[in-house]
Amino acid sequence: MAAPPHGLGPQATALSLMLAVIASSNTPLLLLDGDLHVIAASASFCHDFQIEPASVPRSRFSGLGRGEWAAPQLSSLLESTASGAGVAAYEFDLIRDGQAPRHLVINAQKLDYVDKEQVRLLLAIADVTEARASQKLQDSLLREKAILLQEVQHRIANSLQIIASILLQSARRVQSDETRGHPHDAHSRLMSIAAVQKHLASTERAEVELRTYLVQLCKSLAASMILDPELLSIEAIVDESVTDADISVSLGLIVTELVINALKHAFPGHGAGKIVVRYESHGSGWALSVSDNGIGMPSDAQSSKPGLGTNIVEALAKRLDAEVEITDAHPGTSISIVHPHLAAAGPARSL
Amino acid sequence: MLASESAPTGGAVILVVEDNHLILMSALDLVATAGYEGIAAANADEAIAILETRADVKLVFTDIEMPGTIDGVKLAHYIRNRWPPIHLIVASGKQIKEESHLPAGARFFSKPYNNNSIVAEIAHMLASPPPPRH
Repeated sequence: MAAPPHGLGPQATALSLMLAVIASSNTPLLLLDGDLHVIAASASFCHDFQIEPASVPRSRFSGLGRGEWAAPQLSSLLESTASGAGVAAYEFDLIRDGQAPRHLVINAQKLDYVDKEQVRLLLAIADVTEARASQKLQDSLLREKAILLQEVQHRIANSLQIIASILLQSARRVQSDETRGHPHDAHSRLMSIAAVQKHLASTERAEVELRTYLVQLCKSLAASMILDPELLSIEAIVDESVTDADISVSLGLIVTELVINALKHAFPGHGAGKIVVRYESHGSGWALSVSDNGIGMPSDAQSSKPGLGTNIVEALAKRLDAEVEITDAHPGTSISIVHPHLAAAGPARSL
Repeated sequence: MLASESAPTGGAVILVVEDNHLILMSALDLVATAGYEGIAAANADEAIAILETRADVKLVFTDIEMPGTIDGVKLAHYIRNRWPPIHLIVASGKQIKEESHLPAGARFFSKPYNNNSIVAEIAHMLASPPPPRH
């Protein structure tokens, strides 16, 4: 492949070494003279671009192969390189009859060596066709994934809307206040899960900032459950904690149950009052509490028998390795879900 | 069931545009319960056809993603240009839609929306002057 050294005399060894280096390069390489004639080509160049090695020496660069290298832009690139301007990463589409185009990146450099008279250009040619295609595929997969995710979130939101609509419709059809409460409660539970869903859909992260979420949730609970906002209000006081989505769903459901419970029992006969939802974390420990300033807990065991809400709260607390603590708050009741500070990592951590 | 049957007479006319039948029924029920007369369209083309024949529609409550030639966002802009006084509420399960994509004065709610918030917004809009011309 190497051009036969001719008339070099004592420099023959050095030249032969240089030609051997070029010939053996794994990266396709070409050595050109100042008139853009090929002095040497690497075996990898001949192999990758299907060029007969014997045809290479002293042929013009533009005459290589069947003329596929004869692009005018490429010639002017090499001419400007020969006159001193180095060209890095020139992109070129190699078009050959009956073959798919190859996308090449060409680095051309004028060699700086002792003989200032003789111009020598070194061309390194990288075939990035596959790399670009795989990058393109990866990009399009990522885009597709984002679109699918959006589509899924859209469908979830629509399904939740359908369920929410049906629940409220059944609530309106039911005559008694007692039974009307059930679909209303179910609706509130649903909206509490939907709030996490909305929150997740609006961010790239799979984590939930508890303050944003719980404030939004309390607003939504107040909007759907409080008839007279002048009389009753819900406030959320939450620190900077962020949690994983599934943990925030549990916390949100606990808040929903406890708020429903307080609204049902703490303020009979349209009494005025306030419900405060609090979340604080200390290391791996955290405490969630819902307090009201209502009438306090019933003293008789009969009316305090656990309902669905209590069972849900206990089950969720157990899942979070937390204890349920009920305290008489004078006035009102405070229910806390406490996860003790342990050496092991807890579900919540501070930002 | 037609929502308009149960609506008190004299309530403002609200056009609900929604391709999902269950959500449409429920939204009609929602506006009827709040004391308005709800009329239904299953897509934007139907909505425009209705608006061309009825001059008494005061507010359009529309979904975004619907089959047909245009979606709810385009419908909102179309209505704002052709019938400027009509108030607009847009709801969608997609989170990306911001009110900035909508005509001035239109309100966006993400699904699932809170019925009370929708009713409150309808009441607020109907009590306000017609939306500003964009």
